[in-house]
Amino acid sequence: MLLVINHHCGVPAYRQIVDQIRLLVASGSLKPGDELPSTRALSEELSLNPMTISKAYSLLEHDGVLERRRGQTLTVKARHADDTQASKIEQLRRSLAGPVGIARQLGISPTEATRLFREMLNPPKP
Amino acid sequence: MTSPLVTYQLNKTFGAHQALGALTLEIPFGRVVGLIGRNGSGKTTLLNLACGLLLPTLGTCSTLGRPSGELAAPELSVLGIVAQAGQFINWMTVAQQLQFHASFYKNWDQPREQRLLDELDLNPARKIDELSPGDLQKLGIILGVCHHPKLLLLDEPMSALDPIARQSLLKFLLDLVREDEGTIIISSHLLSDVEKIIDWVVCLDRGELAVSAPYDELQERYAEWIVTPASGSELPRKFAEPWVLAREGDSRRARLQVRLPSSETIAQFSAQHSANVIDSRPLNLEQLFPLLINERSLAQ
Repeated sequence: MLLVINHHCGVPAYRQIVDQIRLLVASGSLKPGDELPSTRALSEELSLNPMTISKAYSLLEHDGVLERRRGQTLTVKARHADDTQASKIEQLRRSLAGPVGIARQLGISPTEATRLFREMLNPPKP
Repeated sequence: MTSPLVTYQLNKTFGAHQALGALTLEIPFGRVVGLIGRNGSGKTTLLNLACGLLLPTLGTCSTLGRPSGELAAPELSVLGIVAQAGQFINWMTVAQQLQFHASFYKNWDQPREQRLLDELDLNPARKIDELSPGDLQKLGIILGVCHHPKLLLLDEPMSALDPIARQSLLKFLLDLVREDEGTIIISSHLLSDVEKIIDWVVCLDRGELAVSAPYDELQERYAEWIVTPASGSELPRKFAEPWVLAREGDSRRARLQVRLPSSETIAQFSAQHSANVIDSRPLNLEQLFPLLINERSLAQ
């Protein structure tokens, strides 16, 4: 599973895992029913304490993103279309916090910032 | 699971110098603990007390469930120590030192020893008195881990290692946690290295406890804010709120380091100072360190 942890940005590792898995699920890279690596396997892959992986997995289970099937394996939970959309919006909101902060620091107006965002969302011209 | 290291009002005084004063802490099982603090804050003293090399002046210290001054074979066989300045039998070769050390342990893991010699690139045929400081550290590490310790204490184990060796070591320590299902306490000044593997922080300051908390809690407790004044006003020279821990910048733009308060408090802050928090970012361990130390002084 392609997760990348940045140890120096100040965001706790468990939170980075939670956010990235949410993104993978929301974008369809992880589909309902897909199995997730075991705590041990993922902790080895990411070089993290298994406790950190457990914490992330518990949170995702609690939030209904993952479920435990057949007693042991963690899988992606199928969700209602509305939930998925709400979750996607929430994720985009979180990832926009950085750019919003920069826009404010630079004194760029909301109108100008929105125009830029719209421009960047459009596919690049050939 | 029993806590691998518990202290209660632990005091260690050397003549006129109090190295540790009334230290009470309980290390949770299974964690990778970063033991941090300025030079002279008592880190090495604590580790030496934990393995019974020093006895408490006052108070208690228990290691693996036993008073640290009474550690016997059952505890010592699962206790691993990597001292800051290793003491070796200098006329021996690396291989001989390893073999000598291994003879004290029933469950010395030969394959692990070989794996480490390879990964850390240490030639077993070399004589100890010819080794560089980096190689001596590597040897100290191997000697401390091959018996599958349940509690591993490392005192500045990486200071002489080059970046590649440090990476290898960090990765190995995590493998260890998974394989041995034990607890690691690592004291190091290399905060940007150590923060890659720790999940608990114990911060000492002048012989006392400043903080003992999960690392992710600390990461979420503090932040760096960029604050600008509402139009027409100026920022105060100093913010009196006790949760504003550091301030840089001028009257038009300040960078604050804060212990995050509730959203109501943040709203009050904005209103009272006519200021806008235009950006909030988390802090890494290097940035958190001075805040943790200062918080203790504030609490007094």
